Amino acid sequence: MVFLQIYGTLRMMLGGRESVELPCYEGDTVGSLLERFQAEERIAVTHKLIDDRRMLHTGTIILLNRRNILHLDKLETPVRDGDVLALFPPGAGG
Amino acid sequence: MGNGWHGKVLRVNLTDKSCTVEPLNMEWAAAFIGGRGLASKYLTSEVDATVDPFSSENKMILATGPLTGTYGAANGRYMVVTKSPLTGTIACSNSGGYFPCELKYAGYDLVIIEGKAESPVYLKIKNGEAELADAGHLWGKTTAETEDAIRAEFHGDAKVACIGPAGESLVRYACIVNDKHRAAGRSGVGAVMGSKNLKAVAVRGTGGVATADNAAFRAAARDTLKMLRQHPVTSEGLPALGTAVLVNIINQSGALPTRNSQCGTFDKAEEISGERLAQTFLKRNKGCMGCVIACGRVTRLADPRFSGAGEGPEYETLWSLGAACGVSDLAAIVHANYLCDEYGMDTITMGSTVACAMELYERGLLGDADTGMPLKFGDADAMVRLVEMTGKGEGFGVRAGLGSYRLAESCGAPELSMSVKKQEFPAYDGRAIQGMGLEYATSNRGACHVRGYLVSPEILGVPEKLDPEAVAGKAVWAKAFQDVTAVVDSAGVCLFTTFGIGIPQVTRLFNAATGFGYSDEQMMEIGDRIYTLERLFNLKAGIDPSQDTLPKRILEEPLPDGPLKGAVSHLPEMLSEYYDVRGWEKGIPTAAKVKSLGLA
Repeated sequence: MVFLQIYGTLRMMLGGRESVELPCYEGDTVGSLLERFQAEERIAVTHKLIDDRRMLHTGTIILLNRRNILHLDKLETPVRDGDVLALFPPGAGG
Repeated sequence: MGNGWHGKVLRVNLTDKSCTVEPLNMEWAAAFIGGRGLASKYLTSEVDATVDPFSSENKMILATGPLTGTYGAANGRYMVVTKSPLTGTIACSNSGGYFPCELKYAGYDLVIIEGKAESPVYLKIKNGEAELADAGHLWGKTTAETEDAIRAEFHGDAKVACIGPAGESLVRYACIVNDKHRAAGRSGVGAVMGSKNLKAVAVRGTGGVATADNAAFRAAARDTLKMLRQHPVTSEGLPALGTAVLVNIINQSGALPTRNSQCGTFDKAEEISGERLAQTFLKRNKGCMGCVIACGRVTRLADPRFSGAGEGPEYETLWSLGAACGVSDLAAIVHANYLCDEYGMDTITMGSTVACAMELYERGLLGDADTGMPLKFGDADAMVRLVEMTGKGEGFGVRAGLGSYRLAESCGAPELSMSVKKQEFPAYDGRAIQGMGLEYATSNRGACHVRGYLVSPEILGVPEKLDPEAVAGKAVWAKAFQDVTAVVDSAGVCLFTTFGIGIPQVTRLFNAATGFGYSDEQMMEIGDRIYTLERLFNLKAGIDPSQDTLPKRILEEPLPDGPLKGAVSHLPEMLSEYYDVRGWEKGIPTAAKVKSLGLA
């Protein structure tokens, strides 16, 4: 299983749900997990994180085991059983 | 004058009770814009850098920018510039809300306050007329009580900036609160106001701000607002969850300074997060005047122990009164945040000082005889109690009112103060975010996040993603962010707009408002000029380059947890590069640099 942690406006969209577990298969990537996530939820969610060209929005943060996927292989980063994927739509502060 | 500036300075001498109007030095306005830059030019020209911040020789300048009160972006900011009693550096704290625009609409670009009143007074400004009024009956009142009282006796629509009891008792991190919940927060500007016996500035202004080229300004404003309404951060992230959304982001990134920076993650971060705040006490979001972002949080406490309503807490406060103290009791944090607003205290330094006191207590460097109560990490009741004692100037609160550095120093352990130049860190660990460590060390007002917010590229990926662990190149980014921020602060624009717009948009608005034709490069040079001017003042004040450093904990103690476990700050490598990028020889601006910026 892969553990998705849901934050920010994405959590608000999903009624306050903090996490989701998804099965993990051979060859899975962050991108394929996001597609499966959307399919399971049956509502559009990935647009909060990525655009039509499968590019992360400026400000989107996706951490795989607390490492930003922008410093790994972005949406092509391989995902393995037991991984934790934290999803943050664009937000900011200071 | 019809060009963004009114061309008027109100000079208030509290000693002889005079209020006079003088023309704005337009040569300086052209070189330093307004707000932070222009007020810094006036302050550094009129005040000896070595003065005691609490002496009558220190001055305090309230400054709007040429874009303050216009509709171009989020243009509702004003600055308070003075010499800080916390750091001994130049202080510049800014605030939004409605007071800044009202001040501009009253017809002044700057209000210079000098001298010291014999007894408490407040300043009344009404459309170009100013006078001092007795404030004896207001002394001792909280900020909200003061604002209500002034509005009742002066003008029902007046906007008020005032100090609370903390400013009166010279808490070194007292702030100036306007519109009840917005604050010029850092560096103790409220204590300077208190030292002058000035309780409040109340303004009623019904004028406007003329722009040089109305059509060009309308077009620039339209395009800028469109960008802000389309950017995912300024159109959705900030309005929905405000700055508090950062709690989980920074914690997950291993950069949330916890228990006085003893670690970089807080296992109860979720309990003090923006998401949790939205589920509990948040009522709605709120904007400053004319703002399309509306990041403010209107909250109401519904808890058996506490009651009340107000605004916030912001991210920095959730951290300082929360994770920094090991406290996960959200209601207690919201309550303590309200107390800070009422007493008029900077929440960052307040919480950091409580955190430092907790570590001193747990190490046996403070005892019950000192504190009057147990003071352990995670004790929400003790945190609230110490905030209250500090605001009221009671017992151990008097020592806490000195800030963490002076407190830790008095216990023989100044290294336990998580501060630079005696001002406490905000909510980012310099070991986990290398550029922020450099930024803290080189900030002209001591540790600060809003002098060059490298969290934006290093963590948030705005405008582009940098590796927070990387060291190379961070000096260039730090200088660029510091200079951009100096320009934005001087124009009168909210820094949060820079998540969605950049210098080209600010320059376009500035040119249309003023009739100037500056390039983006010229604006950036102004940012460099302002930053260097502040640096020169600090050097004259005796703040030498050896103080461009970080606490031993950040430089030598590896992060014990989180994704960046084992990290320390690589400040020395970045600092030498930074000095080179700035044109500073061993931290001191060279004569050539000073001359090239027109500061000789």
